[in-house]
Amino acid sequence: MSGTLVITLLSGGAMGALAVGAGYVLGWANRKFHVETDPRLDAVLAALPGANCGGCGFVGCAPYAEAIVTQGAAVNKCPVGGPACAAAVAAIMGVDVQQSWPYRPAIHCRARYAERLQRGDYRGEPSCSAANLIGGVQGCTYGCLGFGDCRKACEFDAIRIEDGLAVIDYEKCVGCGACARVCPRNIISMVPFKHARMLIVACSNLDTGRDVKAVCTVGCIGCTACTKRSPLFKMVNNLPVINYDEYDPEHMDATQLAVEKCPMKGLIYVGKPRAADRAAVKDEPAPTLVKADFKTTVDDTEWQG
Amino acid sequence: MDYLTTILLLAVSTALINNMVLHYFVGICPFIGVSRRVDTAFGMGAAVTFVVAIASALSWALTRFVLAPGAPLSSWAAARLGYAGAPDLSVLNYIVYIFVIAWAVQLVEMYVRKFFPALYKAFGVFLPLITTNCLILFVCLEVMKHVPSAAGAPEPWGLDLTLVYAISAGLGFLIAIVIMAGIREELDLCDVPAPLRGPGITLLVAGILALAFLGFTGMDAGLARWLKAPAADAVPAAPAEGAQP
Repeated sequence: MSGTLVITLLSGGAMGALAVGAGYVLGWANRKFHVETDPRLDAVLAALPGANCGGCGFVGCAPYAEAIVTQGAAVNKCPVGGPACAAAVAAIMGVDVQQSWPYRPAIHCRARYAERLQRGDYRGEPSCSAANLIGGVQGCTYGCLGFGDCRKACEFDAIRIEDGLAVIDYEKCVGCGACARVCPRNIISMVPFKHARMLIVACSNLDTGRDVKAVCTVGCIGCTACTKRSPLFKMVNNLPVINYDEYDPEHMDATQLAVEKCPMKGLIYVGKPRAADRAAVKDEPAPTLVKADFKTTVDDTEWQG
Repeated sequence: MDYLTTILLLAVSTALINNMVLHYFVGICPFIGVSRRVDTAFGMGAAVTFVVAIASALSWALTRFVLAPGAPLSSWAAARLGYAGAPDLSVLNYIVYIFVIAWAVQLVEMYVRKFFPALYKAFGVFLPLITTNCLILFVCLEVMKHVPSAAGAPEPWGLDLTLVYAISAGLGFLIAIVIMAGIREELDLCDVPAPLRGPGITLLVAGILALAFLGFTGMDAGLARWLKAPAADAVPAAPAEGAQP
């Protein structure tokens, strides 16, 4: 036989023998070192999409599957698999899929510059966290400061500041909660959106009516008109709180009455704009789109000496 | 004595002077990735030491008896097939080494999963990634150069020296990664400037550590001198002590 053929045969034979030997040892070890695992773990892992995106809040699909099986984590957290995946996992685990609502932020203040009283001349660092440290920026110590810390925290460009009031664009918002975490006055809360438009209490002021009137023309005066008309509201520290567990968008008659009777008109609906809202602003000129310029986006520090 | 001297010198120069991580810069990936906590880092070092010992011993045996030019097993098989010359299968070196390393890592992974579940969790993806730890292939290739064969290695190693080399290479990695983990645990409490946080300060620390290990350079020559002539030190010392009283 020729030399090349012999070398080829030898190479193939050596690799083949090595593969057989190694495979045999690994097969033996696999049986010897076998770890008993919950069969549901493998089933759940197979039902998950395997994208390992971390959208559920766990590191990957395997840790999430383990959390479902061992710690009873919710089965509907996978954003990739969606409801079908949740149903499959629920079937494996023998549980019901919990109803989950998208949580979106709500800003509990509706006073713009015109409605805020006792405003001072503030020339410091233009951020809410800095302005919140000192008194005298504005009379209301609960409401929106309007320096836009939430706007800067928003990764999705879903918050704008209109006349000193943060306004959320619910069509862009994904509900990450960054704004609620960054607000130094904690006036942004995450609300379960059971409907495209949700009712919120647009004030955070806990003072009594007299003191509120002194600092704001639209703040809640704690008159309890809403709690008298609808069981949905409860007064906590001079401020109505909506029980979102009982909130049912289909049965809003009593609540609607309360909204209309509110003397300050402080119970407002927020959410995606209705067709009527769109039609109302149809003729207004749309703002021109500003293209990002590298020189201006590279450094967003603001300095006012 | 001479044999022990060789082993000691080989071990010290591999583990400290030519430290795999801090001198050759191989195995950086787990060195940075698993050096957050000392206990995990120690486990990683031990796992790498184990894998490198198994892989290099197997590589040595396979090279010596099958792959090297004129190796006994392949020569015997070639003679059976009617091939006159000494067969050279060293083209297979790399692929066989990788194969052996992957096999050893699989074995270690099963073993660790069975007997050290906490460690298995702490390692995460870095355990199967030992396969691609270049330290191990580096050691195997270094061993390949020293396998006695017909071509003739400059200083042929037996299985004993191979194992000493491999284990001290693993120990050198263990020393480096445990020192690094100790520093990083302290680093968590430090006020690091914002731009350097995370990988930046880690790589700076690794560089300074490598500089520090540069201080071992030349220690092997002094050690060899001291080991070769302990009698020379002892002879003048003995009369001096005897003369004192």
